[in-house]
Formats: sequence, C-alpha cells, structure tokens
Amino acid sequence: MTPEELIKRIKERFEVEIYTSQTKTLHPRERIWIEVSRNDFKELMKYFQEIDPHAQFSIIIGEDRGDHLSATYHLELFCENSPSLSVAVITSCPKEDPKIPSLGDVFPSSVPYERENQEFLGIIFEGIPDPRRLFLPDDFPEGIYPLRLDEKGITPEMVKNAGHPYKIKKEGSK
Amino acid sequence: MNSRIEYWVKIPIGPIHPALEEPEKFIITLDGERIIHVDIKLGYNLRGLEWIAMRRNYIQLLYLVERICGICSFSHNHTYTRAVEEMAGIEVPERAEYIRAIIGELERIHSHLLNLGVVGHAIGYDTVLHLSWLARERVMDILEAIGGNRVNYAMNTIGGVRRDIEEKHKRMILDMIRYYREEVMPKVEEIFLYDPTVEARLRDAGVIPKRIALEYSAQGPTARGSGIKKDVRYNEQLGVYPELGIRPITPKEFTGVIKGDVFDRMVVRVGELWQSMEIIEKAFDQMPEDKIKTFSKDNVALAKLKKAEGAGIGRYEAPRGETIHYVRANPGTDGPAKWKAREPTFPNLFAVARALVGEQLADVPVAIASIDPCLSCTDRVAIIDSKTGKKKVLTEKDLLKASIEKTKEINPNIKAKPEPVGGICGGVRL
Repeated sequence: MTPEELIKRIKERFEVEIYTSQTKTLHPRERIWIEVSRNDFKELMKYFQEIDPHAQFSIIIGEDRGDHLSATYHLELFCENSPSLSVAVITSCPKEDPKIPSLGDVFPSSVPYERENQEFLGIIFEGIPDPRRLFLPDDFPEGIYPLRLDEKGITPEMVKNAGHPYKIKKEGSK
Repeated sequence: MNSRIEYWVKIPIGPIHPALEEPEKFIITLDGERIIHVDIKLGYNLRGLEWIAMRRNYIQLLYLVERICGICSFSHNHTYTRAVEEMAGIEVPERAEYIRAIIGELERIHSHLLNLGVVGHAIGYDTVLHLSWLARERVMDILEAIGGNRVNYAMNTIGGVRRDIEEKHKRMILDMIRYYREEVMPKVEEIFLYDPTVEARLRDAGVIPKRIALEYSAQGPTARGSGIKKDVRYNEQLGVYPELGIRPITPKEFTGVIKGDVFDRMVVRVGELWQSMEIIEKAFDQMPEDKIKTFSKDNVALAKLKKAEGAGIGRYEAPRGETIHYVRANPGTDGPAKWKAREPTFPNLFAVARALVGEQLADVPVAIASIDPCLSCTDRVAIIDSKTGKKKVLTEKDLLKASIEKTKEINPNIKAKPEPVGGICGGVRL
C-alpha cells in the first residue's frame, strides 16, 4: 500500500488532518502525520490494525504544549516491506481534563509507554490494564509530573545541581 | 486455585542484576520450577535525560544522547542526527552516509561479538567468553584509531560526520575483516551453529513465538530470530543502505528452521557479523570522494536550526533493534522544544517477560542475556518462601550455578566455575 492509498482510505472514514513529510536523503522517506481528536482516536487505531493486523507499535511521545498535552504515537505498517509505512498519530487533551483512551486492548505493547507517560506528564489513560508506576520511585511525591512545564512540573527547589557539576558547592561554603 | 497459591514463590531479580543492561527489577512468580508470571519495574538508573535535554542546544544534545548507552553510542548519536536532519530538511553528503554506514557496522560487529561471549558465559562456556572478547579487541582498536575512543566515538554531527576515514584506516579495517573471516568466524560458527551441547542447551530455551514477537513489537535480532523479516535499515531505506544490499537476516538461511528460541537469536547475530563485513567492504568500493559535512562549523548549523519548524523522527537499526528519536523544533531558539528517545531493549524486555512464562528458572539468565542487555554483576536474588516466610538470598553465582548445572546434564565434561563477569555497558535509563 502506498502512502497516498492509506491517506485516501483514512480520509473516507475519519475527519482528520493529514500531512506528510519527506526526508532529503538519497531515498526520500515519506512519513504520514495524522492529527485526530481524542474521541476518534481509538477507532482510528483499531482501523490501523484492520488494515495491517501486524502493525508494529513503536513509541508514545507525550508533550506539554503550553495549553494542552499531546501524545504522538508512532506506528509502522507492513513492517516486512521496503519501504514500510511510517505513521505518526497525534492526539491531544486539555490540561483540565487530561484523559486519552488507553490502547491496552488494541496494542498490548503500548501499555509500558502509557505507564511512562502517565507518571511523567500526568496524562490519564482511560482503561489502562496496569496503572502502576514504571520508572519513578514509589516515594516520588504525588501530583508532580517531571516533564510538565507548568506549576505541576519540577520546581527549582527540587533541583540539586542538575547538569552543572562545576557549580556544586562545597559543604559549609556560601 | 487457592490451594496452589501456597506453592507459588516470588523471586525478585534485580534491581541490580547481571543480565540487564540497566538496573531494573524482574519479579518472577514460580510454581515449582515453572515460571507463571514475570513483572517488571524500571527506573533505578533514571537520570532525567529528557529534562536535561530541555536545557541544551542541538549540538550539546549530540554528546548527551551519545552517553545513553556505552555499546550503542554511535546508534543513538546517529538516530538523533537523522531526526534533526529530517526536521530541518538538511541534506547529508554521500560520503558522510558511507562513513556512517561503516562506523555503524563496526559497532554492530563489536556489539554482537560481545553478546556471543556473554551468552557463552551464561551457559558455562567461559572459553567462548574470553576468546570472543579477545577477538572483539581488534575492532575496538580500530574504532579507537578512527574516533579516538573505544566507546563514544562522537563521529556524527548535524549534516554529516566529524572525521574522515583515511587510507590507513581503510587498510586497518580490511586487515581486520580478513582476520575475522579466516580466524574468528569459523570458530564462532563451530560453536554457535554446530556444537551439540550449545545446540541442546539453547534450543527451545526462552522461545518467543512469532505471534508474541509481533504483538509485543519485539525488535532487532529478537524479532528476526522469531522469523519477522524487519530491519529498519531495510524498511526505512536508510541512507545508502539500499545500495549496500541490506536485507534482514533470519535463521532460515542458516539452519532452515525458525523456532524463535535463544539459539535462533544467536544464529541471527552470527549471520549479521557476516553481513556487516560484507557491507563494510562494499562501502569501501562505492565510497565517492566528497566533502564530509554540510556545515563547516557548528555555529552555522545552529543558525540554520534556529529557523527550523516542525518535528522529525529518526529511526535506525542499532545492534539490538530499532532505535527511535523524536525532535520538535522550538523556532527562534537554538535548542529543541522536545527530545525523546526509545531504545530497543524496552519493547524487547516486555516481549521476553511474556515469553518466559512457562519456562524454567535456570533459563532466565540465558533468555535475558539473549536479548543482548549487558552483564554487570553485583546482584542478588532473594527467594521468599511464601509458606514459611523464610528468606534465602541467591547471588548471581547461584543463578549461574543453576544454569551451568543444566548444561552439565547435557554434557558432563563442562568444568566452568560460576564466577560473574564485570559489566561493560554503561546503560542509562532515560
């Protein structure tokens, strides 16, 4: 399936914004970026699995975009072809109601990434089969999400010489 | 069901454990010798790299991402550069693409030789460990001659590579390939393809069926060992790899069957050693004379990147599987708004955790080692008997002993001592 065919098939069923990007390498590589609202999101992901039952799930990139939180899902369709289809699905949620449906029942491999984004950005994945923390220690304060850029993120008081070894003060000095 | 729970035993492996590239915890629930559940807890080496990355510019980030992992330092660096180049639409000179391919394959050779030794050690063949790591020194010396360091060669920069490969390097590399072809590879094949004890021990251990590998998106040799023909260099038509005749290696070409066990994963690694050497030779034949980078100076690159918009995804096949980096520009500043990386061990861990269900405890070190994390060694495993509440601490030595015992059942002549080897890979969790 070519990228154009995929875009056509998706546009028939969903109201989404689709754009493509291309690399300037010797063999230009096309990537498809799809922006979808969180209501249609799960249906769209299920549709991808209909198109290719062996769709490979790669990553969830959670981001704090100022007024809202976004999550970018990267999928590889037809993973045994050359070139395969590289699709990035972007969905977002407002900060007051940070909820995105979980994909635990569609792509089992997405659960670890959801757990990661849940603790780092405070996106709540609805229906996640395993909501425990994955990376952060169990005694990490509740309600603080390290990668948030607003007041819920890490405050300067919590930072201890991060990234500045030459600024480490000796004990007792001012 | 309740009457059986009494016999279940929970064994935490980790947080600091040999078979894992980074400190992480496997909690294994046992029914007798059979594993019925594996749970994973990560983050014991969390350094907040993503948080640090928000405060770095594009050039500084190159050296930060390189230090994610000691073994695949080139891969992370390479993937990040690709992501930035895709974001800003930067073209890379053809010669730089060839140099990237050569260094990438040299790195693959040293990583795979390391893993062959580690798996040999995990089943009690310490001679394999010492000899394959001795052979690995040759490629490490070459990487040191080219990049100045045994790890962290800092070869990539945005829009090309930082160092050229000269005539003397070419001579050294071709010498090395001759040495591997004639002296090392026959021995490696003798051990990993034809040795009856190794075959008996690794066959049907840690089986990851194709269905689970697809479902859990396993990567790299773990996926190819299960018969999935995916390799990012091939799928993505990366750089000049299509010209170099890249194709995914599956065990079918060597043994004729695909079972998805540890043995198959090792066969894939042996096959990729051959393929890497072929790729390097072809790259030397085809490499054109050209400049090696687009921007003469780093500040020129930064000035160009300041105007960049949008986002880019970089993908590359590291020795262990697909590495992904994502970079989103912050127009007007010289640093990205978001950088995010994913290393192949992450999905592989969950795939192997699923696959270990139903296996024996003695297979755990081999199965975990076979997805190619690195062995570091100061660990202990505590067995808590849920019936008596008694705690027994198993060290890595005991685990290795169990693994060697199992090999001895097959071949009583094994005289290995269960001594842990030192860790080598400075794996850093993001």
